[in-house]
Amino acid sequence: MAAESDQQAQQWRPPRMIESATTRKLVLGGLALYGLLAFFTVEIDPTRIAEGLTRAAEFFGGWLRPDFVTRWTDIRAGLLESVAMTAVATVVALALSIPLGLGAARNLVPGPIYTASRAVLAVSRAFHEIIVAILFVAMFGFGPFAGVVTLIVGSVGFLGKLLAEAVEEVDPAPLEALTASGATWGSRVVFGVLPQVMPRMWGLALYRLDINFRESAVIGLVGAGGIGATLTTAFSRYEFESVSAILILIIGMVFVAEVISGRLRQRLL
Amino acid sequence: MGSDPQDRPGVRHELGVSVSGPEHSLSIQSLHVRYGRGEPVLSGASIALAPKEIVGLIGASGAGKSTLLRAVQRLVEPESGEILLDGVDLTKLARTELRDARRRLGMIFQEHALIERLSVMENVLTGTLGRTGFWQSARRRFAPEDVTEAFGLLDRVGLTGLEDSRCDELSGGQKQRVGIARALIQHPDVLLVDEPTASLDPATSVRIMTLITEICLERGLAALINLHDVPLARRFCPRIVGLKEGEVVFDGPASALDDEILRRVYGDDAVGAPAGHQGSPAGTEGSGGTDGENILGR
Repeated sequence: MAAESDQQAQQWRPPRMIESATTRKLVLGGLALYGLLAFFTVEIDPTRIAEGLTRAAEFFGGWLRPDFVTRWTDIRAGLLESVAMTAVATVVALALSIPLGLGAARNLVPGPIYTASRAVLAVSRAFHEIIVAILFVAMFGFGPFAGVVTLIVGSVGFLGKLLAEAVEEVDPAPLEALTASGATWGSRVVFGVLPQVMPRMWGLALYRLDINFRESAVIGLVGAGGIGATLTTAFSRYEFESVSAILILIIGMVFVAEVISGRLRQRLL
Repeated sequence: MGSDPQDRPGVRHELGVSVSGPEHSLSIQSLHVRYGRGEPVLSGASIALAPKEIVGLIGASGAGKSTLLRAVQRLVEPESGEILLDGVDLTKLARTELRDARRRLGMIFQEHALIERLSVMENVLTGTLGRTGFWQSARRRFAPEDVTEAFGLLDRVGLTGLEDSRCDELSGGQKQRVGIARALIQHPDVLLVDEPTASLDPATSVRIMTLITEICLERGLAALINLHDVPLARRFCPRIVGLKEGEVVFDGPASALDDEILRRVYGDDAVGAPAGHQGSPAGTEGSGGTDGENILGR
């Protein structure tokens, strides 16, 4: 012990990401310079900011006086449509994503099926919902059908990918035990895989339900039906009181969905 | 079936019960296995199990014990060699026949390999999946005779009344009992047992080994049992096979295991040094207070 205390104190620093001091300074300086230049390319117009602030005041004024009554029929129809779109899209997407998710799990299927499933999932996640919605509105016309298809595409990509990851993380030992008792591929999935991923699957489905409702408000802006369509109409008419009412209702719905999914999760998991 | 489900630690393999039914044998001949392009894990291991014979497989970690059992089931495909179950070479079977052969080889796993979130009954009944149709099993409509048998087996392994418990609620020993019932409901001809006592305490280990060997005697099953615990192997397995670096370096009666052979199987460190962790009280067969001198616990 005494000998150890005589030793010189050693220095230790965590290894740096960029070893050379010069390179490090160059990289940091370059980043700072680019940041500065990029900032000045954004045109900042004081008059427009001032106008924006006036409009914001108008908007927040309306926000303080939400009007549920004047456009109630439209708002109710929009909300109900959004709820229906959300429910249909989530259920259909879940049904589609289970086979895709199993197919995209490397530990379950041969290479070609894996690649094909991954490709389908990648394509369905390639574009943001808004772009997909614009596409489907162009294909199927305005209205909730385009919206439902949009939500299905987005949800399948989301659920399928995360489900595949959950499947790839299952404990392989029970699967091997099932193989060893002569179980077929289908039975291995039903008894070995699904029980292990079920809690995660329900959790993801509930979360996606939540996302889909909010998403249904967004894609409505490009004509894909639902409460979003009502919202754009109100905006374009400068009816900020109705806009405020709609936004409050969306917040309320998301909150209710949160409470319900929390309860369901407790029971299911 | 009607015997006391509570295991008695003192029961030895000599305590045979009536044995009936056809006799089945397993013969593994010069098995070679490697994972990918790596070093071979098994290089020509051969073991023959006579009908009703209980063989303990010992060897250091990485000697290839688990790989050997998994290769017999073709969970790992052997490079070469023969696996003869009643004279039929399993390495040559196509998929459907292989499933049937797997059904005949009951396997009990290290760390039980149960589906934790399913009930005890569901886990036991997964042993019948080799003979139950997909839709029946998926809808949990198992054959009544299988359900009756499952209840009987739960009684036999000492889990009466626990059929609806979820497996993640059970203790380690109870889980391994579920694993035993699952293997038995397959109606196996031979049992392959992979480290059944890994992660169990010494007393529970002895109870589980007692149960397994009793059941083998009751049903006239031959069994190949991987054990890392040499005293346990000596106590419960009349014949011992020692595996080292993928080759059989000892094959003989448990009574012939001595220091020299242990050196051959485990290397020089196995003998001579105080082996406190190996000399578990349950495995020492009452050899007095100074045990723990070597891996045998003597």
